[in-house]
Amino acid sequence: MPSVSMTVNGNAVGGDIEARTLLVDFIREHLRLTGTHVGCDTSQCGACVVHVDGTSVKSCTMLALQAEGCQVETIESLADGDTLHPMQEAFREHHGLQCGFCTPGMVMTAVAMAKENPNLTESDVRHGLEGNFCRCTGYQNIVESIIAGAKAMQG
Amino acid sequence: MNNVNIRDSVRRTEDIRFVSGQGTYIDDMNADGQLVGMFVRSPHAHAAINGFDKTDALALDGVVEVITGADWAKLGFGFIPSNSAVKENTDGTPIAVPERSCLAATRVRFVGEPVAMVIAETLDAAREARDLVEVDYAPLDAVTHPVKALEPGAPQLHNGVDGNLCVHWELGDGDATEAELEASDHVVALELHNNRVTAAPIEPRGTLAIPDMETGVTTIYQSTQNIHALRAAIAKILRLENDQLRHVAPDVGGGFGGKNSLYPEPVVTVYAARNLGRPVKWVNDRSESFLSDTHGRSQYTTVELGLDADGTFRALRTTTIGELGAYCGTVGAFTPTGGSARTQGGVYAFKAMHYRARAGFTNTAPLDPYRGAGRPEGSFQIERIVEKAARDLGFDPIELRRQNIMPKASLPLKTAMGLDVDCGDFLTVFEKTLAMSERAGFAARAAKSEENNKLRGFAIAPYLECTGGMPKEHAIVTFSKNGAAHLAVGSHSTGMGHETALCQILSAELGLDMDHISFTQADTDATPLGGGHGGSRGMELGGNAVRQTADEIVAVGKQIAAYQFECEVGMVDFEDGSFFQPGSNNTMSVGEAVSASFNPDALPDDLAPGCMNIGSTFERGVISIPNGCHAAEVEVDPDTGVIDVIGFWIVDDFGTIINPLLADGQVMGGVGQGLGQAILEQAVYDGDSGQLVTGTFLDYAMPRADDMPHMTLDYYEGSPTEKNPLGVKGAGEAGCCGAPPAIVNAVLDALKDHGVTHIEMPMTPEAVWRSIHLT
Amino acid sequence: MYEFNFNRPASIADALTAIADADDGQFMAGGQTMIPVLKQRLAMPSDVVELANIDDLKGIAVDGGTVTIGAMTPHSEVHNSLEVADAIPALADLAGMIGDPHVRNRGTIGGSVANNDPAADYPAAVVGLGATVVTDRREIAGDDFFVDLFETALVEGELITAVRFPLPDKAAYMKFPNPASRYAIVGVFVSQSNGDVRVAVTGAGPCVFREVAMETALAADFSADAVAGISVSGDDFNNDIHASAEYRAHLVTVMAKRAVIKAG
Repeated sequence: MPSVSMTVNGNAVGGDIEARTLLVDFIREHLRLTGTHVGCDTSQCGACVVHVDGTSVKSCTMLALQAEGCQVETIESLADGDTLHPMQEAFREHHGLQCGFCTPGMVMTAVAMAKENPNLTESDVRHGLEGNFCRCTGYQNIVESIIAGAKAMQG
Repeated sequence: MNNVNIRDSVRRTEDIRFVSGQGTYIDDMNADGQLVGMFVRSPHAHAAINGFDKTDALALDGVVEVITGADWAKLGFGFIPSNSAVKENTDGTPIAVPERSCLAATRVRFVGEPVAMVIAETLDAAREARDLVEVDYAPLDAVTHPVKALEPGAPQLHNGVDGNLCVHWELGDGDATEAELEASDHVVALELHNNRVTAAPIEPRGTLAIPDMETGVTTIYQSTQNIHALRAAIAKILRLENDQLRHVAPDVGGGFGGKNSLYPEPVVTVYAARNLGRPVKWVNDRSESFLSDTHGRSQYTTVELGLDADGTFRALRTTTIGELGAYCGTVGAFTPTGGSARTQGGVYAFKAMHYRARAGFTNTAPLDPYRGAGRPEGSFQIERIVEKAARDLGFDPIELRRQNIMPKASLPLKTAMGLDVDCGDFLTVFEKTLAMSERAGFAARAAKSEENNKLRGFAIAPYLECTGGMPKEHAIVTFSKNGAAHLAVGSHSTGMGHETALCQILSAELGLDMDHISFTQADTDATPLGGGHGGSRGMELGGNAVRQTADEIVAVGKQIAAYQFECEVGMVDFEDGSFFQPGSNNTMSVGEAVSASFNPDALPDDLAPGCMNIGSTFERGVISIPNGCHAAEVEVDPDTGVIDVIGFWIVDDFGTIINPLLADGQVMGGVGQGLGQAILEQAVYDGDSGQLVTGTFLDYAMPRADDMPHMTLDYYEGSPTEKNPLGVKGAGEAGCCGAPPAIVNAVLDALKDHGVTHIEMPMTPEAVWRSIHLT
Repeated sequence: MYEFNFNRPASIADALTAIADADDGQFMAGGQTMIPVLKQRLAMPSDVVELANIDDLKGIAVDGGTVTIGAMTPHSEVHNSLEVADAIPALADLAGMIGDPHVRNRGTIGGSVANNDPAADYPAAVVGLGATVVTDRREIAGDDFFVDLFETALVEGELITAVRFPLPDKAAYMKFPNPASRYAIVGVFVSQSNGDVRVAVTGAGPCVFREVAMETALAADFSADAVAGISVSGDDFNNDIHASAEYRAHLVTVMAKRAVIKAG
């Protein structure tokens, strides 16, 4: 079996895995970081979004071996102990989630979006969420959360 | 202190774990020694099964067991039950409820129907074994269209069910309606289709069954909305006692009705775990979800409205064909019959109404409630026919509605459908929505659209619906000596936020610190009964159960306080978390009362230690009537048919609002699903092969953020219902009652100069384009 | 997914060797189409030769007359490239319409072009700009590259190294996305270079194609009016629940018109 090594949420991790192991399965099953979710099997829903070397990717559409040597960040990396990340706080404050299943992908997408453009408009955010489905909220509060979270991230 | 009140927008407790990836959904759970189950599903819409061969599958490394339909049949377990509230046809004969086995043994009736389960040490082994189970099928002709299924000569699904007909049913006074229609100056008729859709919660369904071989109790963790009822059903099928099963729902990633039903997979999973003596976990992937989750809606309807020359409505007649799919779902025949009938006519006054339904079987996945379960269908039917009448007869659609809305003074009343409409002010809600929707600027906006070769339209759609679901709910409060409270309820949040809202009610009622209240839901060990989630019952049943329990706690607290105050119980009052005796300095906080409740010396003789730990069952008398009004403004690109929903305004009367932030969330989410049904979503089966064409998100069009308008919301709070102590009316399903007719009628308003009077949902770009250019 | 050998060469030469040595090897670029295909077990390669470690396949180079995009350059890089935006804004624009932000961070031009999905966006740019597909062994004119549904001029083991776009005088891409998948139901790329006009259509048929009647009309008069009256035959067009062939044919004209306006 091939081996893989990468940094996940600041920790060096690795192991022998089957080549066909998806990054999301490596994260969920091997590392037991279950915040990253799987909501579909055709790369549409975005519940599995993580950051690889600083950019957002669908971890269900990437082999773990493709992340060799990469810096991977999952939803579990954001909070600092009991202190939520400003984007997480914004989602809570603006009721940007209901069932919470799409939320990790939404928040990771939002953080990537905000890093690229701190002064997001409603249109930027709606367009930027093209790869993320939410079935609960009707998106409005997610959009508000992200705009507010992006502002808060600027400090 | 974090004391909260009713109507505070309390931020959600559960969010802390959800935003940080610490939620526990079914696929996040694993048990030691766990096996993995997967289901072999029928590739045929309709076929006889001549036999199974599991030899190759069993021979595969890591495969522990394969249970085929034939194996299952030999075990002699029960069938999947259907508990429709409508049990009889119009003529008094029982409706047809064909037997449905958890695993099909001799015949399959829809693509995706489970025929076998493979259980293996790993997911990969299970997946490979799934492909190795050989099933010898002899394909049969299939029918996937609900109208065609009822026609003579259609392929027949079930022996003993003539003409595929499950139910024929009616409500209202047919003769009176006929007479009123005869007497009407105008009768306007419309045929319309309520498109078949699916709930598509982002988390697929799954179950982890953990048997305890010592106690004989199997714990079922399941992504579901309805554990108490499902436990009883699973126990009955597997010939177990209820207490041999503990049923728990962990965090559930959305339901919307799609996780209400009893499905076959959890039953077989529980059996496999018990039989093998090891935990078994099964989780659907998305493609399986599309095939095997229940679908919703799907009605072909003729609506007839009779009205006087001056526009006064006289009578409404609805004749509909509904669809059950291959079998009766858990509430089966109810949705297209009683579920759709009771709110017929919406907010308008009629002299007579008549509703007649037939619903049959098709070679498709079973249909069951999807958010609203009949009320969105009813709302669509009335609002479309009113719009049609206005257009056909030259009335202003707004004025025609205004003229016919039931006046406040006419309430309470019972509608011709038997619905008990106790309170509300539908006209005020209507006017409030209209005022919000910036009508004054519309002409200018429409002109601007025209400059850009776009067509602008507006419509307003009042709705009236009702609550539903299990009529009883239980809440238990257990105190610790330090005053912390634990609240357990039998109602169930799959995202609606009960963990916050119900604790908020308890906090408000008892003056307890929110931070000192912990919460359990969806565990058969935690409450003796529970109605789960469905019918917008969360606050109406769960909320009132908490309120009632709190009242009983206060009553006991008064006894404790009176004992300490050395006064009569009747002299003790309770306010803001304190017991006190007016006219004296005697006071006792809830915390002190709780502390005393554990101290035998501080209690009167008739109270035992722990006496403030109270469980109480609330029972609903009559269902409540949420109502409101939606308005939509759209822009249509006539060259492509693309619809842009630009503005959306909503005023709801949900009675008492417990937590506006969460109520807003329910409304906006419902509008999302309503918009989806109106312009995007459809579950499509190929008519010839019976294959599901929309089997992935690549073909099933989910609403995305850029499909949704900005929504403006408000509430009318002048009519809390007296049907329950909290005065709540239910908020969960209203959004998808109002949105489809508001959007569809707004699009038709935009197209009025093109002579377009009707387009079926979903109003895809091509459908809109065709209506403009090819009619 | 079936198991396979995973190979991650660091040079083009090693990649070619790896694919030649494999029983049934397949190159993997960004994997945004290939991984879903593998997940559905619709392909069973013995070896996957992944190209992400080959520096020679990456990057964007703009010189006087061309923009050359390395095969492994992700869509997001093309979309965000100021150089591309300056040289061929329509190309940067098109790259920003592919998939979604996450897909754009992984998906590459080489993978998209080699896959030749009938609803992909890049083929419209390659044909619409008269680009050249550069492989490890030759250069293939964009017009000759896309053969049929999922079929290209590439021979077994041939690897795309870059796509070279000539700079047009003006160009634009208009896409009518599928409401579910957001792939192109119809995408029209229009360009004008030294009086030559190209109109490339993706999504409508089994493979990208040039709409010659529109090209002729636009060569005479580069205006929306010139194409507005040209109706396209939908005879060989795709037909599905999202769009009939007839509707796609209609959209070709509408999108062409809008692309011409957008091109300015």
